[in-house]
Amino acid sequence: MDLILPYLATLAIFFFVYNILTWGLNIQFGYAGVLDFTFITFVACGAYFSGVFALGPGQKSTGFEWILGLNWPFPIALVMGALAAGLLGIVIGLIAINRLRSDYMAIVTLATGTVIYGLVSNYTPLFDGFDGLAGLQTPFSQWLNINYNQFTYLWVGFCAVVMVICWFIAQRILNSPLGRTMRAIREDQEAAEAFGKDSVRVRLIAMSMGAVLAGVGGALLMGFIGAFNPAGWTSGETFVVWAALIVGGRGNNWGGVVGSFVVAVLVNEATRYIPPIPGNATLIPTVRNMLIGASLIAVLWLRPEGIIPEARRRFYQLPLLPGRRTPAEGVGGAGS
Amino acid sequence: MVPEADLFLRVEHLSHSFGGFKAVDDCTFEIARGSISALIGPNGAGKSTAVGLIAGALKVQSGRVYFDGQDVTRLPAYKVARRGLLRTYQVSREFPLLTVMENLLVPPPDQRGESLLNALFRPSVGRRQDAALASRAVDVLETYGLLPLRDEYAGNLSGGEKRLLELARAEMANPKFMLLDEPMAGINPALIARLDGHIRRLRDQAGITFLLVEHNLDVVERICDQVVVMASGRTLAEGSMAELRRNPEVVRAYLGGGLDERAVG
Ligand SMILES: Nc1ncnc2c1ncn2[C@@H]1O[C@H](COP(=O)(O)OP(=O)(O)O)[C@@H](O)[C@H]1O
Ligand SMILES: [Mg+2]
Repeated sequence: MDLILPYLATLAIFFFVYNILTWGLNIQFGYAGVLDFTFITFVACGAYFSGVFALGPGQKSTGFEWILGLNWPFPIALVMGALAAGLLGIVIGLIAINRLRSDYMAIVTLATGTVIYGLVSNYTPLFDGFDGLAGLQTPFSQWLNINYNQFTYLWVGFCAVVMVICWFIAQRILNSPLGRTMRAIREDQEAAEAFGKDSVRVRLIAMSMGAVLAGVGGALLMGFIGAFNPAGWTSGETFVVWAALIVGGRGNNWGGVVGSFVVAVLVNEATRYIPPIPGNATLIPTVRNMLIGASLIAVLWLRPEGIIPEARRRFYQLPLLPGRRTPAEGVGGAGS
Repeated sequence: MVPEADLFLRVEHLSHSFGGFKAVDDCTFEIARGSISALIGPNGAGKSTAVGLIAGALKVQSGRVYFDGQDVTRLPAYKVARRGLLRTYQVSREFPLLTVMENLLVPPPDQRGESLLNALFRPSVGRRQDAALASRAVDVLETYGLLPLRDEYAGNLSGGEKRLLELARAEMANPKFMLLDEPMAGINPALIARLDGHIRRLRDQAGITFLLVEHNLDVVERICDQVVVMASGRTLAEGSMAELRRNPEVVRAYLGGGLDERAVG
């Protein structure tokens, strides 16, 4: 019991965080068709910025240096991390999103992400380079006197609350006219432009809102682990989120939940706690990556729209003006 | 040509090359407000390219486009559309994974629910406007006979139904001018009659001006007031069908024997 509960709590935290990440990528790709191949950069942005807002000042003499270092309470630092990620989303979006061509979004996001990765990991005054941020006091510890296990349970609750807020953000966008326009642009950017839709503006909104969720997820990881460095956001991590979204089903947020549970929790995180096999330390990580790749291929072959496909919006979901005939009285009846 | 007061669209010395190939070459014509006009010409004459240039989907390399008294040459497609000039494509471009109903709810302009703040904090704003738009869309779908298909994915419609959807969708945008690229390509005669009925209805009731790229000269003869003929990227002639039939250059370049037969028969 003493081991299992904290382990399950840790898995719950990763599950909740990956839900948020998958919804973020869903807003970008599932709603608006933005091929963001550097999603993890936004996660890192949220983690780093929440970190430097919550940490104390870094000192070059001690070998720890980073910008800011304001000692802010973690919940506020989390919001700052999310905002920083949203801003970065706009910046990268402005470079990658183009009115006349959508084919090079993928390569441009990948390229900008690589540039940022190189900068952050080599330029130490920013976030201490390859060593990264470390030594963050467990959030809430200035107010509560709790041990580490108790903190883990508290963090499960905190992540759950934040996740519910993110769910509402993702759902409200999806079910609004904005979400409908995003999906129209995903289906046919040029045709949407021909109807007066500013596809660049709408895709920038999707890019930055997805990045905000990525930043929130990154901040939650930072708060939980207390450290963050470039080893934690290699481009392979972007692949895990993509795999979760594609396997679970894009264009709807329940698909994201299923995908993040299967790919990110069952395969990716749970296998981290299997002790390494003596004499073959890389076996488990290798098998893990193979499993993720295999599940992605299986879904793309057998069920390309994902385990939970995008829901078809039926007309009776739209309220009619008073005095109008109900759809059931229309020609042919509802959905016949 | 078209009197100044009636002038709605003016294309002036428009040229466009793909690589070294001049697809549109010094194309000039005028369209009168409230008219139904046709743009005809052999395959490869540059008609679709001209449509793309007028609508801002292609960057104009040289020449000018004036719409409703203003220069729209350099405007991107979405801004041209917001001024009331709507184009359709030679190949239907429905939003396949949106339902027919949703396809009709995308085009209306000035949707307040498209603002991020309203979407996040005041969803009722979008819902209220959607209710009014949906109500109108029901009327439009009924007019086109598409109401039973409202919950179908647009990608699952037949070719003819997609053509009707294109026009229904365009109607929802409240345009002043519709630029239709071969709206009747590949559909059966009964549907052609329905489509040209809709075009006339929209002109007469909503006052929409039309320019259609069209191959079917029967349709052109039946509904169009004025015809622009293009060949090898140039405007060859402008006028009524009767005038064009007497133009030897037009007959040689495009109309050929077919027109003579029709003139006789
Ligand atoms: N994107 C393009 N790239 C290269 N050539 C093109 C392109 N679009 C059209 N063309 C060429 O330009 C000419 C005019 O095409 P188009 O405007 O589609 O003619 P139309 O609509 O009158 O049949 C054709 O010879 C076509 O092959
Ligand atoms: Mg054409």
